[in-house]
Parts: sequence; C-alpha cells; structure tokens
Amino acid sequence: MAKVLMIHPDKCTGCHNCELACSFEHEGQFRPAASRVQAYTWEREGMTVPMMCQQCDDAACVKVCPTGAMHRSATRANLVDWNEQVCIRCKMCTVACPFGNARYDAASSSIFKCDTCQGAPECVTFCPSGALEFVDDEQQVRSRKKAYAAKFREAFQEVS
Amino acid sequence: MTVKYFATIRTYTGEAVRRIDDAPADLRELLATLAGRYGTSFRRAVFTGDDLNPEIIILVNGRNVLYLQRLDTPLAADDEVSIFPMVAGG
Amino acid sequence: MFGWTGTILRVDLTKGTITREATDPKLARDYLGARGLGGHILRSEVDPKTDSLGPDNKLVFAPGPFTGTFAPSAGRFNVVTKGPLNGVLAASNSGGSFGPELKYAGYDALIIEGKAAKPVYLWIKDDQIEIRDAAAIWGHNTLDTTDLVRAETDEDAKVSCIGPAGEHQALLACIMNEMHRAAGRTGVGAVMGSKNLKAIAVSGSGAVKVADPERFKAAVMKARKLIQAHPVGGAGLKAYGTDVLVNILNQVGALPTRNYQDGYFPTADKTGGESLAAKQLVRPKGCFSCIISCGRVTKVDNPAYAGYGEGPEYESAWGFGSDCGIDDLDAITKANFLCNEYGIDTISLGSTIACAMELFERGFITAKDTDGVQLTFGNTAAMVEMTRKACTSEGFGAKLAQGSYRLAEGYGHPELSMTCKKQEMPAYDPRGVQGIGLNYATNNRGGDHVRGYTIAIEVLQNGAVMDPHVTEGKAGLDITFQNLTGALDSSGACLFSTFGIGGAELAEMLSALTGVEYTLDEFMLIGERIWNQEKLWNLKVGYTKADDTLPVRLLKDPIKTGPSKGEVNHLDQMLPEYYKMRGWDEDGVPTKAKLKELAL
Repeated sequence: MAKVLMIHPDKCTGCHNCELACSFEHEGQFRPAASRVQAYTWEREGMTVPMMCQQCDDAACVKVCPTGAMHRSATRANLVDWNEQVCIRCKMCTVACPFGNARYDAASSSIFKCDTCQGAPECVTFCPSGALEFVDDEQQVRSRKKAYAAKFREAFQEVS
Repeated sequence: MTVKYFATIRTYTGEAVRRIDDAPADLRELLATLAGRYGTSFRRAVFTGDDLNPEIIILVNGRNVLYLQRLDTPLAADDEVSIFPMVAGG
Repeated sequence: MFGWTGTILRVDLTKGTITREATDPKLARDYLGARGLGGHILRSEVDPKTDSLGPDNKLVFAPGPFTGTFAPSAGRFNVVTKGPLNGVLAASNSGGSFGPELKYAGYDALIIEGKAAKPVYLWIKDDQIEIRDAAAIWGHNTLDTTDLVRAETDEDAKVSCIGPAGEHQALLACIMNEMHRAAGRTGVGAVMGSKNLKAIAVSGSGAVKVADPERFKAAVMKARKLIQAHPVGGAGLKAYGTDVLVNILNQVGALPTRNYQDGYFPTADKTGGESLAAKQLVRPKGCFSCIISCGRVTKVDNPAYAGYGEGPEYESAWGFGSDCGIDDLDAITKANFLCNEYGIDTISLGSTIACAMELFERGFITAKDTDGVQLTFGNTAAMVEMTRKACTSEGFGAKLAQGSYRLAEGYGHPELSMTCKKQEMPAYDPRGVQGIGLNYATNNRGGDHVRGYTIAIEVLQNGAVMDPHVTEGKAGLDITFQNLTGALDSSGACLFSTFGIGGAELAEMLSALTGVEYTLDEFMLIGERIWNQEKLWNLKVGYTKADDTLPVRLLKDPIKTGPSKGEVNHLDQMLPEYYKMRGWDEDGVPTKAKLKELAL
C-alpha cells in the first residue's frame, strides 16, 4: 500500500492555490514559476488541469540520470526522489520526462519536481476543491468511480 | 398557505413549492410538520436543537422571522413562507 | 519590501517612455494598494477637472499587497482613473489572474499616461517592457484579442484588454481580463480606448515575499477555515453562484423590476441561480487564490442564443432579466456573453435598456428611434438585439452605450434614468431595503452596491440581522461597510471573503505579510481615509449634497406589488445622521478636523 497524489481535473476551479502552496513550502515566498505543480488554464473552455510528477515506477528520468540523483526512494513508497548533492544539473531528466514534470530552475540551480513534501503534500492541503488528493493507492479513483455508481443508485431508487 | 423552498433546501424537499390547506398556528408547528414529511436533512437544516438553525433564513410574507417572533411567529391561512439556506452574492 | 514589490511602472504613451520608480513605503502603509494607492496617485497627479477621455487622464492598474499570495480569495486588482461616465475617482475591481501576474512581474502599480498616436498594446515581461503596434488586433473582441496578443507575446501571458466598446470610447465600456473577468463600471474601458491602448500582456517570473512566513501561514489557515465553515463561502456560492440572490431579493420584494417600476417579479425563479445550475452550468470557476469559486462556466444550447463562456452574475441576470421584464435565462446569458466579448458593463447596460423600454412604452421614443425594434418590457429578442447594438455602438445602440442618464435626458425625461451620480443603481430596490439606498446615494462612484454592501445584514443575515424596512441604525451600518470595504478593496482581497472573515483577520494577515503591524482600528481607519479621499475628489469635480440623492421614483413612488408593497426610501431620515457620523458638515463636506485625523 502506498500513497498516490491523485489529480481530479474535473474538480479543478483554476484557483492556483496548489502552485502558491508549493512555492511557499519550498521557498517561503510566492513564486508560481517555482512551483512543482503547474495548473494550466484554457480560458475559452474555462478548464484548468494541474500537472505534477507522477512518480513513475519505471521512470525515464531515473533511467537517464548519470549520477543516480534521480532514484526510486528506498525509504518511502511510490516516490522518485532527487539527491541534490550528487546531481550535476545535466538536465537529462528534464529532457527525458515525457510529461514535462521535471524542470531546471536557473534561479535556484535546482531540478524542480514534486517530492510530495515529505509525505504531506501542501498542494493537497490548500486545494479548496478536492482536485488534488493524497490517497492510498486503493482509493485513488474511489471518489470518481463512486460518483458514477451513485447515478445507478438514483436511477434504481426512482424505479423501485 | 404556500411554502417555497430555495437553493439547497430544494434538494432536501425534492420540490420548489408546497401548498398547505390547514395552516399551522405558528412557524414551529409548520417546520415540525415539514420535517416529518421531508426527513432528517430538512430537519437539520431548519432546527438546531429546539431553536431555529442560525444558518437558515425564513421569511413570512417577505419578513425575516428573526425580527418577527422567530419560531413563535404566528401564521395565517394566506401567508407565504420562504425558506433559504444562507446565500450571498454581490 | 514584503507583500509589496517596491516598484511602480510608469508608461507614457505619448512620448513612448517607460520609467520605474520606488513605491513610497509610507504611502503603501497608509493606502495599502489597489483602490487606495491608485486613488492617491490620481489625486496627486490628475486635475479633477481634466477631460476623462483626454490625454491628461491617467489609467492605473494596481494590485494590492495580498495579491499574488495565498491569502484566501485575495488575488484582485483595481483599475483606477477619472471615470468618463460621471467624472468620479473611479476604481473598478477585477479578479482573474492579471493582478497577481503584475506582482510577479515586479509591480505594485502600472501607471499609463498620455495617448498613443495609433493603436498599441503593452507587453510586460518582468523588467522588459515594450509598446507594440496593435493595428492587427484593433477591432477584435476580447476573446480573440487575448489569443492574438498571446500569439505575439507568451501563450500563458495574462491579458487585460478592451473590446470594440472601449475602442468606441462608449461610456459604459469596461476592461476584461482572462476573457471573462471585468473591471466593469464607470467606463474605465473608454479611458483605455481614448489612449489607443488595446491590451496589456503580462508575464512575471518573480516572487511576492513574506515578512513572517510562519505567522502568515497560520493566519491564512485560520481565515480559510472560517470561510470554508461559512455556508456561503464554503458551499453556497460554489453551488449556485451569485445568481442565487434573485429569489431572496424577490421574496423580500426588493428585486427591481421593469426599470424600478416595481420590486417583485413573479417569474424571477426562472432566472435565478437554481435554474442556472440546472440548465447552463458546466463547472464552477475560481479566481487566483480563491477558495470560494463563485464563477460560473456556462453553456447555452438553445440555438437562438447559443454560446459558451462565463456568467451571468446576479447583477447581470437582473439587468437583462427582471429589470427588463424578461425571464428567459438563455437570452439573459447570451446578453452576458456578448457584454464580455465586446467589453461593456452588464449592470449599466441592462439598466439602460430597461430605461429605454420605459421611454418606449410611455411613447417618449418610438420605433423610429429604436431602429424599428419594438423595445418593450419582456421583449426578449429586442433586449438581445439592443445588447448587440450597444456592444458595437450601432444605430440606437450607440445611445445605449452612453448610459441611461444621457439617454433619458436626451429625450427630455432624466427622471426615468435609475442612476445616482449618473451611474446605474444595481439590483437592490432601496424602497425595500433602506440602508442600501443610503449607500447608493452617498457612494463615491454613484449607483454601486459592492462598496457598502449592507445587504449582507439587511437581507442575508450574515452574522447579524437588521430589518430592511427601518432606517434606524442604517447610517452607522453603511459607514462601517463603506470603511471596511475601502480597506479591503485596497488590500487585494475579494469582498466575498467577508462571508467568513472580517477586518480582524484581514489585519492579521496583512501584518504578517508586510511586516507592518495593523490593528483592526488602523485597518478601518485606512478604509475611512480612502473613502474620504474619493469624496474630496468628487467635491473638486463639482458634486454637492444635492447629488447625494436617489431618483425621485424611489423617494415618492411606492413599490406596487409583492412583500415590500407600499414602501418608499426614506433617505432624509438617514442622510443627516450619516454626514454627522462621518464627521462631515451638514453639506456633506469633510471637516478640517476629520481630514487631519485621516492625514488627508
């Protein structure tokens, strides 16, 4: 059993509290450019989707990293961790991640990717809409699946 | 008498309006009767203990019962009672 | 500096120069930002007698210290200028993401001066500023403008722009950002158009710093809890939007109907938030840092009025709804979409169309004046067509786009314009709610609800209840709301955060953020200062006690039907006490003692 930082884009209202919480947690100031989660908005549709590292089991960033800075955490389940000490900032991880979830920040000379804030992700705490959830892997789609199951419950209640 | 429901109250009652032939004597009696009809979620929305839930807004003929006589507000046969959760906007 | 960036950007469109100046810490401390700081800049640099559509007027875009932080629902900015609709010190408030982006680019305020020789747009990328040719963009609606500007700047740039209404310098023109958010009132869009400024694009990679991060986070968490626990901020507004107000205002008999000829509209429910949620809502939307999400992403399927966008808010649903005698929500929402796309104030336009409908029904104008349209109350198609024409300043629409005061006066019946200081009153009938009438009459920008939202207490039972039909205590109520809102508007917070928190929580967050200690009393004093600063401007423009009034209809003609039948507004019972409690003389002029107390 491991925790997953689950995204529910259907619930996102585009408030960017996740970005603010992330940058504040990591830098003590508000710099959304520094956030490891980015929420992209399409204004015509009024739709926003937050994106962050998915902690891939078979991570491209881990495969290409020459120093082992990107590695599967030995101590925490379901986490691709970044070792700042051995990282040479070659940026191969940023090239490799197909989702664009690792990036190099020149201002701080770091690789930014979601680290789940030591197991208590701030973005989840600050999201007002339940669009981000830090949840046991068994329950990561429960809310969504159950919402649709409830429609059957409604339908059957009406009939019987 | 007519009772109108708004916003989330409609989800508890399943309807927007109810006409009542025998007007209850006062608001307390009316709400108790309606709670009996609609169930727990409605009851919880209108009552806190024996008093009005502070988060409910009830109008009798457009007048807020908080400056009439609250649950003791007398009712007449042709009154219109409106029940709102706290709402807001700009 | 903390909270503030410490830099103000000044762009002179006549000379094409761009300069940077330091934010004066004392001014920041005493006026906060946004409405207050912008107001101070106007007062210091612009002659109140200036032509608002001339090159000497200035246009200030100013966020507040909270803007760009995670203070809950506090990402706002103001557009401050001399308002062309009525000459007041206009400060129009907007949400979205534009304000925060200005902060990340490094600015506490952007001051636009002069006039460009031909259409331009401004591109601000941190400290790189360019004035660029907008010839290819001029003429486009606000949605296309946003896309076109982004294509030339950055695909994620935040864009504030005018549509055709602002280009025509229509007095009701507004400024839109992120396509669907409006700095709506008093014609601020016309000022932007008069400067040949089509759009401003901003991209910022900087930071907003915090003086005491631990204290700030604790204060924010506490404020968030209070807002989320409140039934309105926590769930109500997200489920139903502001349009939920239609029914409660109608049920108290104070929903202005058919140009304020009545206060009750029997089929109002068809236009309310419940109907909107059932028929049109795609999803709720929140502005930057918002935890309330009152925004509505909506869709109309009805082919006659098909569209996709955001809104309507309560005010817009009223303006194109009961005020025009209309209960077709699809048409109302279509009118709202058009106003967003063309950049025109929904409140003032709805009320102006209603005024035109009354002029028509009374025979003071005919189909000859209205381009052949039967402009009667309840004529849905006519309302939508007139909205379209006003958006493009076409035919009779050109007159509508100048507002109801000039319209009605032009036809010899100014008494049919439902305005205070030439700005249309919003969706609360003062005959049914006494205190809001006092706010309309004394409001520095004319007909306005947000700056003195006594409805929260008089109708919405938010923390307290005062009988809307009585005048006792209303002077004090109005002053408290007006002062608190003055400070709130200047901090970058959204008014809706006050469904949950008050001045004390705002002061605590502000102190932790900026490192300047604000008590509740000091916070309220700032609000009072900002109110008086705007009043001083209005006095110089020539507004007098005679202008602190309501349309005669509201003072003399009782509401005809519904729960507030028979009521009129008793302004004369509230105004003298209001002046006295404000520390003003009997003519409504701030006394020297009061000005000294406020350091004005």
